[in-house]
Amino acid sequence: MPDVFAAQVFFIVFRECLEAVIIVSVLLSFLKQCLGQPDQDQQIYKRLVRQVWAGSIGGIVVCLIIGGAFIGVFYGLGKDIWSESEDLWEGIFYLIATVIITIMGLALLRINKTKEKWKVKIAQALVDRSKHAHTTSRLSSWSRRYAMFILPFITTMREGVEAVVFVGGVSLGLPATEFPLPVVTGILAGLLVGYLIYRGGNAMSIQIFLIASTSVLYLIAAGMFSKAIWSLQFHTFAQKVGSDVAEEGDGPGSYDIRETVWHVNCCNPEIDNGWDVFQALLGWQNSATYGSVISYNMYWVGIMLAISCMLYEERTGSLPLKREAVALMLKVPGLKNYVKRKQAISNDKTAEIVRQGQAHLATGILRDAEGEK
Amino acid sequence: MAPWSGSTLWAATILLLSWICAAKTVTYDFNVTWVTGNPDGMTERKVVGINGQWPLPIIEVDKGDQLIVNMHNGLGDKSATIHFHGMYQNGTNEMDGPSMVTQCPIPPGADFTYNFTVNQNGTYWYHCHTDFCYPDGYRQALIVHDDNAYFHDEYDEEFVVTVSDWYHELVEGIAPDFLSVYNPTGAEPIPDAFLFNDTLNSSLPVKPNTTYLIRIINIGAFVAQYFYIDGHNFTIVEIDGVYTEPTEADILYIGIAQRYSILVTTKNSTDQNYAIVTVADSVLLDTIPPTLQLNNTNWLEYNASAPHLQANITVDQASDLNPFDDFTLVPYDNMPLLPDPDYEITVAVNMEVMGNGFGYALLDNISYTAPKVPTLYSVLSSGNLSTNSEIYGEFTHPFILEHNDVVQIVLNNNDGGSHPFHLHGHNFQVIQRAPSYGPTFYDYADGDPVPYDPSNHTAFPATPARRDVFVLPPQGYFVIRFVADNPGVWFFHCHIDWHLSQGLGMLLIEAPTQMQERMSIPQQHLDVCQAASVLTTGNAAGNTENFLDLAGQNSQQSFLPNGFTARGIVALVFSVISALLGVVFIVVYGLSDLKFHNKENPEIAMVIENLPKGAAETTVVNDYKD
Repeated sequence: MPDVFAAQVFFIVFRECLEAVIIVSVLLSFLKQCLGQPDQDQQIYKRLVRQVWAGSIGGIVVCLIIGGAFIGVFYGLGKDIWSESEDLWEGIFYLIATVIITIMGLALLRINKTKEKWKVKIAQALVDRSKHAHTTSRLSSWSRRYAMFILPFITTMREGVEAVVFVGGVSLGLPATEFPLPVVTGILAGLLVGYLIYRGGNAMSIQIFLIASTSVLYLIAAGMFSKAIWSLQFHTFAQKVGSDVAEEGDGPGSYDIRETVWHVNCCNPEIDNGWDVFQALLGWQNSATYGSVISYNMYWVGIMLAISCMLYEERTGSLPLKREAVALMLKVPGLKNYVKRKQAISNDKTAEIVRQGQAHLATGILRDAEGEK
Repeated sequence: MAPWSGSTLWAATILLLSWICAAKTVTYDFNVTWVTGNPDGMTERKVVGINGQWPLPIIEVDKGDQLIVNMHNGLGDKSATIHFHGMYQNGTNEMDGPSMVTQCPIPPGADFTYNFTVNQNGTYWYHCHTDFCYPDGYRQALIVHDDNAYFHDEYDEEFVVTVSDWYHELVEGIAPDFLSVYNPTGAEPIPDAFLFNDTLNSSLPVKPNTTYLIRIINIGAFVAQYFYIDGHNFTIVEIDGVYTEPTEADILYIGIAQRYSILVTTKNSTDQNYAIVTVADSVLLDTIPPTLQLNNTNWLEYNASAPHLQANITVDQASDLNPFDDFTLVPYDNMPLLPDPDYEITVAVNMEVMGNGFGYALLDNISYTAPKVPTLYSVLSSGNLSTNSEIYGEFTHPFILEHNDVVQIVLNNNDGGSHPFHLHGHNFQVIQRAPSYGPTFYDYADGDPVPYDPSNHTAFPATPARRDVFVLPPQGYFVIRFVADNPGVWFFHCHIDWHLSQGLGMLLIEAPTQMQERMSIPQQHLDVCQAASVLTTGNAAGNTENFLDLAGQNSQQSFLPNGFTARGIVALVFSVISALLGVVFIVVYGLSDLKFHNKENPEIAMVIENLPKGAAETTVVNDYKD
């Protein structure tokens, strides 16, 4: 396969795009639910919908500018410095990317749960705005007025910049020809799936699709984690060897025999066509080290543990030892406030927020009504 | 009258003596100790000195002399030996010098006497022959004068010129980085300087209109050097101790351990000094540090007060120089091509990373690994089994030669570097080499190695050149012939000291039966072994009971495993299992999300339902109106 498709890039773009689309779609459906009924003011509804779209597109534009600048700096300035220790940077970026993909990846599987969460967030945003209605600072009034612009604006921008950073970081060392195709297809796939979710098609088949894509995402992440460790190890080896490592291709001397678990003199993902896709998707290494093999397995063990914990928490409402852990953390000065804040939110529960919100809404509306008189 | 008649008498006695026994005995007492030296003016370092001196004394004898060198190892921390490079040592194999081949390494404090007859003439040198030893300065010229040389009357004076690479660090400091997992290509240590007579920017004072004999020896450890003299051609009259038909040349390529004697006739006028230019063969160097001066100028000094100008080098790189092809030289004795060989050895040079991650050099599949007993002593202690090559161990790479056989060695090069190969105890006829010196020398360097094809080669020369060190071209080959008329254990090895330490050598065990008949080891040699804790009898493994049992022999590193070994398969299977299990977990987790679907969050629904009619609308609308 020629160098035209970087699989990691595709999945990252797809993932970020989907997230942005979901948020926008939740916003739109929320608006529709609240204002889009036939007996309501269609003009305001349409204006607000336009705001949402404008915000989304604005966010994308800004992210493209930021991302363009980032990539420009990255390749213009950075490439020279980084190319000398490419393995080091590759290792670091892969490590960061793995962590973030890992944290966000499972949320993708909870798409329905995420949707609910966003509904609450939007409701809360409305509540907060009415709560602060009496403060008449310009900023707050502006932000109140354009909430339906700001929210999607920030969301799309954030996801977009994230995507750019990942794509830039992960693909260090990939030839530029591998970019356009996965970026475009990633965006298209994200839009398509987002649309399907918005339209609320067959929940089961959407979920199966999400599960499949998440599985692939985690296969990629595991491979990236393993590759990150491998790159860091290789960096230290290559540093000591000097420029000679490149001379060796994938033959003897291109790897540290003491660390090697297996080595085949072929199938090098860095130089042999096709194997790079194998590496991108499944973390293939023609020269596996103890570090890369152990990290790959430990990654999966970690994922399995995390999923077990989350499933356990969902079923029982709490994790074993959680109370003890919280109690312990409360005694640590630095963590105290953080834990308290967390506690406040989790204790509140959605119902509490919503009830408060109701009250604020009611008074706000009353006051507004009075103000109109 | 008395003095006159006395000296006449003395001269007459000398004449008489030389007529009776034809030779004298020359004795050198060498106390070998560490001294300091700074030949390039850049770094003062420890060097191996003799009798407190460095540069070392040149050994000079006349053809036919008995040479005795009493060596005392006063280094204190290092074993050493002396090899008299190019000496045939016919009948005195035990005086040849390579450690663990014909003797034990001489440990600190021990004495060793080398004693042999020099029945040959020309330009030679002596150097330490233990691993990682002679680059520390333990090397110098050995000149055998010959009043009967055909060119003896053609020159007025002679110079000895040594060229050498030079390191600022002791070999023991360089070696660990060289043989290391971090040097997989086996990149040879880069020298810090190139010396000319163990110094830089020196002059050979000459008179106009005079012919000089210059004996040039590359006594370095690694780098070959080009040699030419600005404005002068010269005549080659000897290579490696073999007189040649006088042959005009302008540029020489002097591989490690090679020697050339040239006649140079000076110009008429004395208004200018001429540069003697030496150019290091930079192709051999993996990197060229900016501080390393590859070209060096010394001078044919016609006029000490005239300027000594640095040579103007006109080529971009050393390999652009077009040196004289030593293959084309004709020995002065016109010895014809030896008949077809009785015995042929074909081996190839390979450089490989072995199981410990170090780079090694191999002939075929064997990297020379010193045995536990010096091979000469194994020959002498093995009785009838001495003709069985097995007893010398697999990793000394032994070949048994029959007495007086014509032996042919075909050496192919699977490596991209050139290798100056040296055979102890002989010079050999060079009957084939490809590519030849000159612009085509690197023609095979890219692409696949080209081995010698016995059915398709150029005609062998009728009177082939003979020498004892011959340069093997990159990925090419050479073929040499000699007569096995010198019973002994003879090392055939690459003379780049780094490559020898990587194992680029093999042993020719020549006429072991005759060795047992004719040779005995001096007691002192055996005492040295005892001091060094090295066995003096037994096979390569030191086994004296059963010479065919080689259990415990020193062996080379294992080869790198190729592909998946057991642990690789286990690791791969485990990784696949973890990945599959992980995916199962993800699927379970993902499917359990479906319970959220369409289960409208009751609280949300409540918020929206309980909003006073149009509340959300109002809020938003009001914001709009603000």
